[in-house]
Order: sequence, then structure tokens, then C-alpha cells
Amino acid sequence: MIFTEILDKLKAKHEVLESKEDLGVLNAWVSAKKIKEVIGFLKNDMQFGQLSFVTAVDLMAANNIEMVYRLFSYETKSDVVIKVKLDRAKPEIETITSIFSTADWHERETSEMFGVKFLNHPDPNRLLLPDGIDMPLRKDFKCADMTPLPKV
Amino acid sequence: MTTKAPFELEKLSNDEYILNMGPQHPSTHGVLRIILKLDGEVVKDLYCDVGYIHSSVEKMCENKKYEMIMPYTDRLDYLSAVNYNWGYALAVEKLMGITVPERAEYIRVMLAELNRIMSHLLWYSAYGMDVGALTPIMYAFREREEVIDMIEGMTGGRLTHNAFRFGGFRNDLPKDFMDSLKKFIGHFNDKIDEYEALLINNIILTARTIGVGVLSKETAINYGVTGPSLRGSNCAIDLRKTAPYSIYEKFDFKACVGKNGDTWDRLKVRMDEMRESTKILKQAMEGIPAGDIMAKVPKIIKPAPGEVYTKVESARGEFGVYIVSDGTDKPYRIKFRSPSFSNLSVLKEITIGSKIADVVAIMGSLDLVIPEIDR
Repeated sequence: MIFTEILDKLKAKHEVLESKEDLGVLNAWVSAKKIKEVIGFLKNDMQFGQLSFVTAVDLMAANNIEMVYRLFSYETKSDVVIKVKLDRAKPEIETITSIFSTADWHERETSEMFGVKFLNHPDPNRLLLPDGIDMPLRKDFKCADMTPLPKV
Repeated sequence: MTTKAPFELEKLSNDEYILNMGPQHPSTHGVLRIILKLDGEVVKDLYCDVGYIHSSVEKMCENKKYEMIMPYTDRLDYLSAVNYNWGYALAVEKLMGITVPERAEYIRVMLAELNRIMSHLLWYSAYGMDVGALTPIMYAFREREEVIDMIEGMTGGRLTHNAFRFGGFRNDLPKDFMDSLKKFIGHFNDKIDEYEALLINNIILTARTIGVGVLSKETAINYGVTGPSLRGSNCAIDLRKTAPYSIYEKFDFKACVGKNGDTWDRLKVRMDEMRESTKILKQAMEGIPAGDIMAKVPKIIKPAPGEVYTKVESARGEFGVYIVSDGTDKPYRIKFRSPSFSNLSVLKEITIGSKIADVVAIMGSLDLVIPEIDR
């Protein structure tokens, strides 16, 4: 499926705030409230059976945390990227664990790395990090180990 | 890493108890902790505790120039390092629009397939040890040594090989590479038969693995399981076939699949895959053209703003690299999608209800490498 086709089908059912083509792949921005419906629609009605990964990008200049959901369809061999802009001060989004079980761990990782809160997550514990390190993948993260040693 | 106990002791019934497995357990091949809730010998529930060797590779990479990131990728999965280098090189090449010369593509395929064989041989040896067979390692390491010697000649490394450059290679294949490869291909298929007779078709192993840890196709896809673990569930998804990268379209090979999705099928798929890799190696050896091994690449790697996701079929499954570039010489965001991460998450689903000794057999069949889970 080419990206215009996916976009048309997606637009017919759900509101797409913004969209662009990046190296042949559709990037569509949707609102945080609609994420569960959009991902469910892509999986059930458009054969996007695999959730490749879930992650986030810290857009500090725009004061946003951008969620990235990448899906792949084994049937049509096409990719689609769904993005959601969240407020950097209080990033909150509904979990999609009930649609894709693999989202469980990916969301837990995103949660501790970027401070995104996943609502209704079945196991909202830390995955990789020990206690005491918060949001290391945010751009303003400071750690004593990251300052270079003085020149002798 | 969890600081909270996953199971509450007060809620256990009289027959149930908690068993801690790891983080230092020989069958986890790294530091992975599994907390088991048992009733006698039967596993009632399971919780994976990962993150013991988390080193924040993604954060380190965001503070490094594109060229400097390459050695980090092969340390994610030290057993199939070539494929990880490749995944990252592909991402930057796609972002910058670099076309790799054909000879370099052939060399890449040969290295990747040798590396796949090397990784599967180590898995075979380790799996034998996990289930109590101490002899197979002696046989598998004999051939693995040959493969390592070949890769060492080309890359200079025996474990974390690092020969990939953006656009191809710096050095061509060493002179004796083709002779060694020819010799290796000549006798390797017979050796695989020997391995199968020794371990895979052994009556004790089949009794321990057939019908154990059944993973259905739907569950596997839902959990994002990829690679041989997915193909064992009768699902012919191999990125070299379904989403071909590089020159894999030119080769004649098949995606090996299992029938029932049990532990034995996952073992068998890996053995068959080594045969297919040998087939690819043979075709690559015959078809390799002469010519350049390096494309024209700018001295300073500065991709235009944009983002890219590339994936390769590593020995364990889909390894993906997601890069967001902001136009500088360092990536703004880099994410490694590692296959073992998703493959481990399905462990709970397929282990509940089986015996405690089967946990080791099932976990080994997923072929986990911990550094790529923790990153």
C-alpha cells in the first residue's frame, strides 16, 4: 500500500491532525485521546499486525514529547508511523497494551526514559532503570558522570 | 529493574512458593532475573526482571558523532555483531542516500551469513549444556572456530567484529578467504547432520522439548516475536524474504518454518537455517563480482533533517534502528529495536503451566542475549 492510500483510509475514519511522507512512509499525527482507537483500527481493519516499537522523542524546543508508534503489515508489506504530541510538563497517554501485548514492555521503557505516564497500564513498574534515575533520555538530563574530566 | 516484589507473599496459597532464578544463573547467559511462583514443580506465574546491565547505549549514541556509534552497535549483541553493524550502517546510508557498490554488498551478505552460522553454533552448544548435554559443544566449537577465523581475517575481531563503514568496507577480503570458505561449505552440511544426530534428534532431548512451551502464531505476532522463534510457530516471516534489504532478492533460499511452535520446532528451525545460510554463502561465493568496495561518502557525516527506520534479520530476529536527524553530525534521537527484548516478553505466556525444569529448556530455545535487552 502506498502512503496516500493508507492516509485516505485513515482519514475517512479518524481525525488526522497533520501528515507527511518521510522516505516513502506515512507519518500521521493524531490526538492523544484517539490513540487507542487509531491503533485498534490499523490493526483490525488495515492488517497492520506487527507493532515494531513504541518510543518517544523529546522535542525540547517545541516543549513537546512526541510519541512514536511504528506498525508494519506482513500482508501488504507497508509501514505506518503514528505520532502523538504530548505536553512536556505533563505527558499522559492511554496505554495500548490491550491491543498489542508487546506494547507493555515498550511503554514501560518509554515511561521511565521520558517520564510519560501511561494510563491504565497493567504493570506500571520500572523495567530497566534502578530507582533514583529519572528520565535520562530527556535532553535536559544532567548527571555528574556526563561532565568531562578536567584537563591536566 | 524492579524494587517492588511482583508477587505478594500474603496472597499465596499454602502450596505455593516463590523461587528466585538469577540474576547469576548459568542458563540465562547473562544477568537476567526471573521470579517464579511455583506450586510443587509447576510454574504458576513468572516475572522477568531485566535491566541489570543497562548502560544507556541510546543516550551515549546521542552524544556521539555518527561514525563513532558503529562500535556500540556490535556490543549490543556480541554473538551476531555483523548484523547489528549492518542495521546501523543501512540506516545512515538510507538517510544520506548512499548506494553501496555491489561487491561490498556481496561481502556484507557473506559476513552476515557466516555470523548467523557462528551465532547458531554457539546457541546449539549452550543449549546442549542448558539441558544437560555436555558433549555437543566440543563438536560445534570445532566448526565455529573455522568460521571465526574467516571473520577474523576480514574484520580483525573474533567476537565484536567491526568492519562496516558507511558505503562499504575499508579493506577487501583477505586473499585466503575464498579458499577457506570453499573448504568450509564443502563439509559443513555433513556436520549439521552430525549435530542433529547428536542432540536435536536425540531421544532424551525430543522427550524434553516436543510439546513443551507451545507458542501459537497469533501470540507470537501479538508479542512482537521475530526471527527463528517466530518461524518455529509455522509463520514464514523472514525479513530477508518479506522485506528484502541489500541483495537478498538475488539468492535462492527459503524461510525455514516449524510445525507446532513448540520448543523442538524452534531448535529445528535454527538447524535448518544453518543449511540455508550455507546455500546463500555458496551462491554469494560463486556470484561475487570484482570492483569497488567503497562508495563515495562525504568526509563529514551530516545527514539532512529527517528520520529513518531500517531493519535487518539478525540471528535472533528483527533488529531495527530508528534515527531522528536534526541536520547536525550527531543523531538527535536513536532507538535500537532489539529482537530479544520482544522475544523475552513472551516467556511468561508460554511457560505458565509447565514444569520448573522446562523453564530452562524454553528460555534456551528463545536464544536470548541480555545486553541487547538491556541496552
